[in-house]
Amino acid sequence: MPGEEEFPRFQFSLRGGKMQRRFPNKVLPYLLVSPSIVVVIIFLVIPTIQSLYMSFFRVSPFGDRLIFVKFYNFTKLFKSTDYVHSLLITLVFAAAVVALGITIGLLISVVLNQRLKGLNYYRTLFIWTYAISPAVAGTIWALMFDPSSGPIVYIIKTLFNVKLNWMMNGNLALVIVIIAASWKMLGYNIIFFLAGLQTIPEELLEAASIDGASSVRKFFKITLPLLSPTTFFLLIMNMLYAFFQVFGLIDIMTKGGPGNATEVLVYKLYRDGFINLDTGFASAQSVVLFVFVAILTALQFKYAERRVFYG
Amino acid sequence: MKKVLVFLFIVLLMTVALPKVTITLWHAMSGSRLPAVEAIVNGFNATHPDIEVVAQFTGSYAETLTKAIAAYRANDQPHIVQVYEVGLQTMLDSGAIVPVYELAGPDFDWGDVIGPILEYYSVNGKLYSMPFNSSTAILYYNKDIFKAAGLDPNKPPTTFSELYEYGRKIVESGAAPGGISFGWPAWVFEQMHAYHAQFYANNENGRKAKATEVYFNKDFGIDVMAEWMKWAQDKVLVYGGREYSANQAFLSSQVAMLIQSTSSVGSIESKANFNVGTTFLPRIEGYPRGNSVIGGATLWVMKGHTQKEYEAIWEFLQYVMKTEVTMQWHKSTGYFPATNSAVKALLDEGWFVEHPNHLTAFLQILSGTRVPEAQGVRLGNFVAIRDVVDSAIEEALQYTGTNYKKEAKRILDNAAKKANTILEEYTMIYGK
Repeated sequence: MPGEEEFPRFQFSLRGGKMQRRFPNKVLPYLLVSPSIVVVIIFLVIPTIQSLYMSFFRVSPFGDRLIFVKFYNFTKLFKSTDYVHSLLITLVFAAAVVALGITIGLLISVVLNQRLKGLNYYRTLFIWTYAISPAVAGTIWALMFDPSSGPIVYIIKTLFNVKLNWMMNGNLALVIVIIAASWKMLGYNIIFFLAGLQTIPEELLEAASIDGASSVRKFFKITLPLLSPTTFFLLIMNMLYAFFQVFGLIDIMTKGGPGNATEVLVYKLYRDGFINLDTGFASAQSVVLFVFVAILTALQFKYAERRVFYG
Repeated sequence: MKKVLVFLFIVLLMTVALPKVTITLWHAMSGSRLPAVEAIVNGFNATHPDIEVVAQFTGSYAETLTKAIAAYRANDQPHIVQVYEVGLQTMLDSGAIVPVYELAGPDFDWGDVIGPILEYYSVNGKLYSMPFNSSTAILYYNKDIFKAAGLDPNKPPTTFSELYEYGRKIVESGAAPGGISFGWPAWVFEQMHAYHAQFYANNENGRKAKATEVYFNKDFGIDVMAEWMKWAQDKVLVYGGREYSANQAFLSSQVAMLIQSTSSVGSIESKANFNVGTTFLPRIEGYPRGNSVIGGATLWVMKGHTQKEYEAIWEFLQYVMKTEVTMQWHKSTGYFPATNSAVKALLDEGWFVEHPNHLTAFLQILSGTRVPEAQGVRLGNFVAIRDVVDSAIEEALQYTGTNYKKEAKRILDNAAKKANTILEEYTMIYGK
């Protein structure tokens, strides 16, 4: 799983020739990157191999008994209706979080890119959702939608006379978790969209204005295409977020319930591995999840990247 | 100034000269239970200068168990860990514990431990972990809402049909938006089985031999679930989450009744701005009488420490059982005191007269019949099975049709299938 420090490929591309001149020494560059390679090996590669290994075993909770079971964990996985359900939930969840996060993020960034009074305050306000820890964000949303004492539930009850109780309604629970997860990622999206918007040359927009293009047209014909590297990057990051990083939020808000209505793949993995203490089965799930997301990402690079304009 | 420095120096020397044995205790007691644990530990440390017990809150029961396992695998385990009742079989089979009967030696008298607690945690007549926080489920109700709905606040429901009838009255009269809520729903479901002398799993609830099949999808389980589904549809039952979150609905008068662990008596009485009543669990007509069952957690001693440390641990565990200590624990939380002497002392000082709600659970559990069905369920990976049942209940309560029994059977059959697979996989690892 790539770390969050990865940056979009903006306009800076180093040419091979320059590299050669700056680093005449052949060993030094490798030496310089070695710390991060070591980190990647220790924290990513080794655990991945371990998971793969463990996925062929049934393991006792305390790890004192290992039984080699070949593909038992995998066949169990694909025969399990719960897993298929969880997979579907995850797809819905990820699609909604990515779509909401990117469209709303872009919309707000465009507004924030105008010259408004007190702009810095607005920007800070919108961006700080990213600085809030998942636990706090989860608690905030859980309190707001608390069936018996939540303010949003109360407002909706007084306005529409509808009593929202996500604990009794799985679809509602999913919607609430999607809202919370997109909200949490909004700040991140806004930062990158703002940065992207600021690299768009004023002259282009000015020229278009002189030619009489409407602002909607300018947005779709100039801003959006020039923003595509950022959008593509955010597409990947949001997808990875929706797949891997929503654990905290869901754990605090719904614990995967009611029923299994909000049990996305990572949460199921956690529950099987750390609550139900079924390490082998959880490892098999992590392997499948890994392959699944790798394929999705590869597909995106193959097809979506064609539409990206790097300038 | 000089004197002070010299004094400090001497104190420092003394602490260096007395090598303390440090005992770590990992527990899952949050909220108002946390200071109660700290009071016990501080009391022990103050009276035992050569031992220092360090109590650490390590999250929920499940998180505490997970952490203890991870620590054990990294050879960095705590001395004592609090594990909830569903972790019993896992701990017994773990090979990672030292049974407390071994620490105690053959001469220790366990007779003072309260009967049902001793029975629940004994395996072949021997106690493997130290009873610490034991509770059972009781019915709490809001007397003010009962009055407002035109019900007699001193006549709480005793049967399922009464409860349903009262709940309807409460909701229809507008006295409260909901009738009843549950804490720990799957546990309440287990309670219902024991309370009506029904086995939850084969081999006498897994106490004769390892259980291989659950029984909760039989007629009784279906009856209970179908009733609950009907209640939920008529707004009598309001689902309140898997642990303690239902308390919030009860305290804010959103529901008039609550089935919850007796360990919430302390916090509910102190937070409620209405008259709180408590009574026995409601019964379904037409089924035999059993008893409500023990829940909560015990203290397990882990392997891999020195003899000196085990002596210190045993010292601490004996302290926890002391009459005054376990009395105080009961008073501040509502958990059962561990021993009969403590119950007598509480009675003698008039505690129950002033706090009748603290007595309800005792009367309930001591007045039930002592049948094997109510001794407690012991299942391999019970943690996962309880999770399956919790999900099943959540699914059932969302049902909007009217064919309750059929749907209850479908959902429970499905859950039982999953539970049986879990049991099968457990025996795959540990044998029958």
